[in-house]
Amino acid sequence: MGNFIGKRSLSSAIALAGLVILVFFLARLTGDPTNLYLPLDASLEARADFRERHGFADPLIEQFGRFVVDVLHLDFGESIRKARPALEVVLEAFPWTLRLAALTMAIVLVLAILIGSIAAYRPGGVFDRLSSIISLAGASAPDFWVAIVGILVLSVSLGWLPTSGVGTPWHWVLPVGVLIIRPFGLILQVVRGAMITALSSAYVKTARAKGVRQRAIIFVHALRNAMLPVITVAGDQAAGILNGAVVVETIFGFPGIGKLMIDSILQRDFAVIQAAILVTAIAIFLMNLLIDIAYAMLDPRIRHG
Amino acid sequence: MRSYASAAALSVLAAALLAAPAGAQDRAVTIVLPEGLDIVDPCHVSRSNIGRVLKQNVVETLTEIDPEDGSITPRLATGWEQLDDDTWRFQLREGVKFHDGADFNAEAVKFNIERMLGDAIYCEDKAKFFAGTDLEVEVTDDHTIDVTATPPQPILPTLFGTIAIGSPNLPTDELTREPVGTGPYVFAEWRPDRDIVLERFEDYWGEPPAVEQATYVWREESAVRAAMVAAGEADISPTIAAQDATDPEMDFSYFNSETSRLRISMDVPPLDDVRVRKAVNHLIDREAMIGTIFPEGVVPAANLVVPSINGHNPDIEPYSYDPAKAKELLDAARADGVPVDEEIRLIGRLEVYPNATESMEAILAMLLEGGINASLEMVEVAQWTDLATKPYAEDRPPTLLQSMHDNNNGDAVFTVYYKYHSEGAQSDTDDPELDRKIIEAGAATGEERTKMFQEIFRIVHDDVVPQVLLYHMVGFSRVHPRLDFTPTLATNSELQLSQISFKE
Repeated sequence: MGNFIGKRSLSSAIALAGLVILVFFLARLTGDPTNLYLPLDASLEARADFRERHGFADPLIEQFGRFVVDVLHLDFGESIRKARPALEVVLEAFPWTLRLAALTMAIVLVLAILIGSIAAYRPGGVFDRLSSIISLAGASAPDFWVAIVGILVLSVSLGWLPTSGVGTPWHWVLPVGVLIIRPFGLILQVVRGAMITALSSAYVKTARAKGVRQRAIIFVHALRNAMLPVITVAGDQAAGILNGAVVVETIFGFPGIGKLMIDSILQRDFAVIQAAILVTAIAIFLMNLLIDIAYAMLDPRIRHG
Repeated sequence: MRSYASAAALSVLAAALLAAPAGAQDRAVTIVLPEGLDIVDPCHVSRSNIGRVLKQNVVETLTEIDPEDGSITPRLATGWEQLDDDTWRFQLREGVKFHDGADFNAEAVKFNIERMLGDAIYCEDKAKFFAGTDLEVEVTDDHTIDVTATPPQPILPTLFGTIAIGSPNLPTDELTREPVGTGPYVFAEWRPDRDIVLERFEDYWGEPPAVEQATYVWREESAVRAAMVAAGEADISPTIAAQDATDPEMDFSYFNSETSRLRISMDVPPLDDVRVRKAVNHLIDREAMIGTIFPEGVVPAANLVVPSINGHNPDIEPYSYDPAKAKELLDAARADGVPVDEEIRLIGRLEVYPNATESMEAILAMLLEGGINASLEMVEVAQWTDLATKPYAEDRPPTLLQSMHDNNNGDAVFTVYYKYHSEGAQSDTDDPELDRKIIEAGAATGEERTKMFQEIFRIVHDDVVPQVLLYHMVGFSRVHPRLDFTPTLATNSELQLSQISFKE
């Protein structure tokens, strides 16, 4: 296992380095932030002075050289917009997104596995049809719309929940509620499909013949085998949220990394873009490592192969 | 047993949580802004999102510009006089203290001006108002300063309405994250990912304001800002979109000091011919877009500044909607060999104002109808600023560039130099005669200054035609009914908490 993690880490480090280089040059292809940052009325001298001050007047390769040296000293530079270290800005936003992703995925997995397994037990039955309709309807509704309607109904009309922001556990209800809808619909369908296959397999029939209880057949024998595709899809969905639930963060004023990234791209705040992408990339790498380990634990064939 | 305990704990928790939000303290207000603050340094207050929180609340200016008529009134300075062409003397208010206990005096003002103009930190106020200007401050006595400007600044008292005075203990080599001023509110807390809290300064030199505490939060979505005021979570949202201003009890419309226009690339044929530029102006039906694409309340503009700005010329009429006249002008130009049928590019800036795209589509249709070979492209703000600012691309096509200009600083000089002088960073004109007039007007004072700016606006409108002026724009705010507060022209860039009172 140690060997496996070591190998994965090495290949990921190479990929991360490539990513950082790519982001450095891609971001700068869009232009420099001088005109965006300075007031429209700023004089040409003020603009030249600003370029000089932040090193945008230097040749790109020189800027890149400085950047590499700084990164090797774990210095991601200053955010031009915020006049403080970019990494500090990113590490302030990232925990919010991480918690949002963890909470959302935990709820999604519990609900989807429970409901999907029960639905798969009688495919085509009333419960199955009902859960399919609800999950598909939810997954098809645009989250922007669901979020605004949620605020208008639950916060403004009924006054049950705060509209937006962070502070109390109640503030999490609407954002998480909106965020779970789409992955829930998707993962529910995956669970259901995998469970139907598993429940019709030979080992389940054997278990039935031996007189194993229904609950044990569904949640122990079948589910363990049905989990592999579920983990794959869940990992993909979680990566999506880790990269920033931009719509939800924007609407609910949630201080996560998605909105930070979009803003810094729009403002050409290069240091923040680079730090944010690196931090999320590392997080996704760690998550993928966990998923691989989970795979190996669930499926002996992977462990031994 | 355990389940009872946890149920009890849960219900206590729930009760505590339910009791906590909503009912903010009586004399505290919450203000929801469209964007958060990245910087809180006093030398950046001319940036509207920073000024709206700090200006005249935490930090004050020497003079104050009346948004209604552009007149200059005392604030931290009690009086001023011009000693000669270059030098102004300011009398400073006595008995004023900074929040950190430091005395407000001539040395403090000198410190702030030198800090702002120095090279150690980037200050927006310098870039905006004092780039290329050198100010020498001489402390005459404890509460008198003489300021010498090179080149001379005939409107120095107006300019001093734009810069804020912070404590002499502010760092000179970096931007501060804890602004300290003389204002009626102390900067109490800043959580960059969440909110800013201001608390009333009990030793304030002026009248104590009614609001005791103000919390600023930010939400990008207009619908959410409107919902927060409706739900009682916030008291004021200074800007909401027109479509969210649905409740006449809470929603105000106000002139926000912005003027919309299309800039014309005057150096590129066929737009280098004034007849073509005038024809484009005559093809826009400004009345037809009011109440449809632009909100009710906007006013067709003939000046790039709003009526309260010194230098606005009330005698110019906006171009009439007159397709017949436009055709005449275009035909005449064509007869002289002007390549009238060259494709003209309309370039719009996404979300520069509500319905920005729709308005450009309507204008495109009007131009096509009038026989102009036009096409439309909408770009993001980053691309737009590159197109809008010198140096322009050498091979740029004939372009009509969607823009909006905000001047709430009292005087037309902030507009005409940057937009109409050939050296202006965002100017399309190259007219030595106009340049001369702009420099002269900038150096004039009083009645004469006003007249000269009015003349410049007339020449620009009637003869130079570097633009298609559209409207003086309106903004919308939502104010909770428990407050007595009416948004003004200044609300875009400052929101004085001391002007808020409570109804009951």
